[in-house]
Amino acid sequence: MILKIALKELKELFREGRFRIAAVIVFALLITSFLVSKRYYDYVNEQHEAARKNARNEWTGQGEKNPHSAAHYGTYAFKPKYPLALIDNGVDKYSGVSIFLEAHKRSDAQYMAAQDQTALSRFGDLTPDFVLVFLIPLLIILLGFNAMSRERESGTLRLLLSQGVKPITLVAGKWLGLFLPIVLLVLPVFVLAAFLLAGVSNFGQFSMAAFTILFVVYLLYYAVFTNLTLLVSALVKKSSLAFVALLSVWIISCLAMPKVTSAIAEELYPYPTQSEFETQIAADKKNGLDGHDPWNAASKKLEAETLAKYGVDNVSQLPFNWDGYLMQQGEEHDAEIYFKHYNLLKETYENQTRVYRTTAALSPFLPTRFLSMAICRTDYAAHWNFADAAERYRIMLVGKMNGDMVDNSKTGDWDYLANEKLWESVPDFEYQPPAYAAVFAANQSNFATLLVWLLVSFAALYVAVSKIKVI
Amino acid sequence: MLEARQLTKKYNDATALNAVSFTVNPGEIFCLLGANGAGKTTTINLFLNFIQPTSGEVLINGVSVPANPVETKKHLTYIPENLTLYPNLSGIENLDYFAGLSGKKYSKENLQIFLTEAGLQTEAQSKRVSTYSKGMRQKVGIALALAKDAKVLLLDEPTSGLDPKASNEFSELLTRLSKKGVATLMATHDLFRAKETGTHIGIMKQGVLVEQLTTDQINHTDLEKLYLKHMN
Repeated sequence: MILKIALKELKELFREGRFRIAAVIVFALLITSFLVSKRYYDYVNEQHEAARKNARNEWTGQGEKNPHSAAHYGTYAFKPKYPLALIDNGVDKYSGVSIFLEAHKRSDAQYMAAQDQTALSRFGDLTPDFVLVFLIPLLIILLGFNAMSRERESGTLRLLLSQGVKPITLVAGKWLGLFLPIVLLVLPVFVLAAFLLAGVSNFGQFSMAAFTILFVVYLLYYAVFTNLTLLVSALVKKSSLAFVALLSVWIISCLAMPKVTSAIAEELYPYPTQSEFETQIAADKKNGLDGHDPWNAASKKLEAETLAKYGVDNVSQLPFNWDGYLMQQGEEHDAEIYFKHYNLLKETYENQTRVYRTTAALSPFLPTRFLSMAICRTDYAAHWNFADAAERYRIMLVGKMNGDMVDNSKTGDWDYLANEKLWESVPDFEYQPPAYAAVFAANQSNFATLLVWLLVSFAALYVAVSKIKVI
Repeated sequence: MLEARQLTKKYNDATALNAVSFTVNPGEIFCLLGANGAGKTTTINLFLNFIQPTSGEVLINGVSVPANPVETKKHLTYIPENLTLYPNLSGIENLDYFAGLSGKKYSKENLQIFLTEAGLQTEAQSKRVSTYSKGMRQKVGIALALAKDAKVLLLDEPTSGLDPKASNEFSELLTRLSKKGVATLMATHDLFRAKETGTHIGIMKQGVLVEQLTTDQINHTDLEKLYLKHMN
């Protein structure tokens, strides 16, 4: 019976102009945005690969020089672009792709919200995700707003119920009749994407499981919108009114709520401005060790302690290069300062994330978007993970340079030169993103929120429909 | 087959139907006459369980309608004043859908036989219903009764707005169905049709069934006089 109703709905839908036109437009948009992203992705990856090789060549080919100078010369860490970024570009556009790694300075501040970003950047921009999270819900509304109200207006509802059809059976059939075309529309794009992405060779950890979960997340989201559409169509007696009501639902869930949420998060836990952030770091640096200033109080203290420890009067009598040692001590101290301040920043970010997770209950759009970005590895969490890995690499690199100087040269010997043997002994920066298990664990609440939306909207639909009256 | 016992429906203080009792046996066509608002449609809605009685009983085949809303609809076909179908589907597809919803499965040929029997021209059957006239849509309703093998017909002013020829055709179909043993309850304003087609007549006024008679007891002129007497 349910299937019969669904088939009849589909038959009517396919005979109607609005579905054909809307479906063709959405399908074309989806395919186009996907192919455009694919091209952009290939282009970016090519550049990325070239730049990565180039940076490595520059590092290993920098010639003979003092190791600490090499640490100043620095190199770059490049953030890999993952295949699924094709589907959802997330905040990638705003978070930057490379980090300069040098002595004394953690320099990725330019990619941080401490710079000049608004919290809105969490919601990305025009790629397939635009069609998937914004347009398809609109399509569901367009196709289903009068699913129930039209039966009521034209009188066919009376005829249906006079046949002994239970309202809930009718709605179940209509639900399938609305949901299946959407699946049919989205599925080919995902299948095409799976084939293309599986063939991507660069940075190519493409996980079919993650991709399938992404697809399921979108389907859950569409199911929620199908429920809401039928619910409003059953509650509101006039089709025109149902349409306006549903458009309002769409505007609130997809446009207003994300911005309200951002505003709340930013209001409760504001990020420091770029200059505030830098001033705080500079203040801490000034009051602490400074590797280049031996007269600084702290380094004087360290010098006295070290001389006492080795029982010598002068730093030149130490069995290692004091300059290098002092610089490494300063480096480690600076790293701690950066660690402290970036952790403060991260705390703000995590507080904001908590706000987003709570407010995600207000709109099915939010948990969907967060999950989509997380699975595509284009959310802020993914960026943080990369930036932290780059910082660990920077500390290792600088430590290795200073260490070589400490061990292989004498105090005051600034003419000591290291060669490419040392440069090559530094491993290339190989970034491994967090495993999907960790990503999913961090997004449990988003999964839960989306499921709650699904269940509550099903329940509301069930209650509304079992109470439906024809007179 | 169709039975109303002291059937009463009240909306707050207003009484839409007051202690109405009548029986329609198989093969009978019971025509309810009365002004708009007399309670004819309310009576039909009660038989469909679209509304529930305040007191009294409404039975189909001896089974209480409010207690068994699905079961009592098994052998029932309802044709409203303006039978609306799905405009983008053909007559055959509409019939297939509605018959299917009551659990009947027919081949396309069988559906065509029902439609032909109901008087719908063969060439119209596979055309979309959006091109149908009201009379043609009513015929699909009759075909549905045939397809369902309905024992009960509930008709709410089915011939209003039909031209005399279509109206006559419709009456002939009703007569044919009643000969098969169908119990028909029809609300109508058409005294002439009621006298010609009906076997029994009930006149309603302000929710009360003020007169019940058989059509062979009375001629057309006297029926009109009786009706007007009650209305004034």
